[in-house]
Amino acid sequence: MAVPSRIVAIDGFVATVEAFGTQRQTSLMLLADEVAVGDYVILGAGGQFAAEKVPEDAAHEALAYLSQVLANGEA
Amino acid sequence: MLPDARLDVSLHLHDGAVADVSIRSTRLVQAARLFAGRRPDEVTALLPTVFALCGTAQVLAGLAAMEQASGLPLSAAQAPARELLLLAETVAEHGIGLARDWPPLVGAEPALAAARRIKQAQMRIRPALYPAGDWNRPGGGALEPDVATLSAAITDLRAAVAEALGADIFAIVAGPDSFRAWVDGAASPAARLLAEMSAAPLAGFGRGSFLPMPEQGPADLSVRLEADRDGAYLATPDSAGRVFETGSLARQTWHPLVSALLGDHGPGLLTRLSARLVEVASSLQEMAELVQNLDADLAPSWCLVDGVGLGLVEAARGLLVHRAELEGGRVKRYQILAPTEWNFHPNGPLARGLHGMPATPDLVRHAQLLALAFDPCVACSVTVD
Repeated sequence: MAVPSRIVAIDGFVATVEAFGTQRQTSLMLLADEVAVGDYVILGAGGQFAAEKVPEDAAHEALAYLSQVLANGEA
Repeated sequence: MLPDARLDVSLHLHDGAVADVSIRSTRLVQAARLFAGRRPDEVTALLPTVFALCGTAQVLAGLAAMEQASGLPLSAAQAPARELLLLAETVAEHGIGLARDWPPLVGAEPALAAARRIKQAQMRIRPALYPAGDWNRPGGGALEPDVATLSAAITDLRAAVAEALGADIFAIVAGPDSFRAWVDGAASPAARLLAEMSAAPLAGFGRGSFLPMPEQGPADLSVRLEADRDGAYLATPDSAGRVFETGSLARQTWHPLVSALLGDHGPGLLTRLSARLVEVASSLQEMAELVQNLDADLAPSWCLVDGVGLGLVEAARGLLVHRAELEGGRVKRYQILAPTEWNFHPNGPLARGLHGMPATPDLVRHAQLLALAFDPCVACSVTVD
């Protein structure tokens, strides 16, 4: 499953992103769209590269659903 | 924090060979049951974000399941447009994989410019079919094909894949001789990787029993999904004890190059990686044909009624299945069976391929390459116990 992550900082092609209180760094090299701090992105498998920009409302919807998944432990 | 889903493969050695393979998955295979209570259009809006890696295939499988549940027919114009979206995602997933992931395997830098170009070309296709952005609407969206933009995007996809491979993909997979010439020419990291894979005995590394997925899925698919109340089938599917493999090799056995490689080396590393190249070429060819036969279509009015439906889609990594039960205009029950659960099943094709492999110093690397050839949708590690 993909977790929309919010961009909190950008340094060149490397972004610091945050999701569920955890920050990590990811490359923006593969993104088809321009992004800025505050935008949401989906990370590819392993998290090394951001794969896609996600509209803010879709990101909020997905995060609400994923919070439910987390609370229910739907493994 | 949601844990990163991953696959951990452990090899157990005995008498100089792999005696046992265990595969542990932390994938949340039952998460879709939390779609219960939502409206169908809410589900199709959520799918491309929470399953972004193959978001198009996920939406199309979801639409097919919910449309079948409601007896909602799909117009003749919508089907080829959806197929075009699906094929573009297949080309992009494989193309980005071979541009980004293959070069580091031979010590080269990832071809990120080519990978980005592939992604950009793919992103142009959806709005060139459904400019209103309603492609994920049950029954189909307002279809207004922009043939010129679509054709240009397909040309760009092909050119970007050629940039990553150092040659045109159609020329590479035209037959065993052209494939051999490209590999021997070593003009790109991908060619050098396949040159390494071509050396005996590596070419046949991982050749286990080959059980390709039937074209419409296992005969007992619907019955098994309906009976799966605890999610055991979603986690480790089988059909009368058989665990099929799904994906490029299972789909491309008809192709002369794949057929020749299967005959020479079996379903090992070389054949599997090559089948992914063949799938890129086949998909591009099909896209070019589809784009010449598109028609505009109004977004039909729709009303989803109660029922049960199964949606099957051949996604980049293999057969993706959605099953939906609708009641009172809402989802009552929802299940997703992804290709990774077949290919990385504890008794599946990866495990069968690794079983019996000799315990050489390069065993872990070769096992990692085999896992990569199956293209897992999450991170995958290989260790020796």
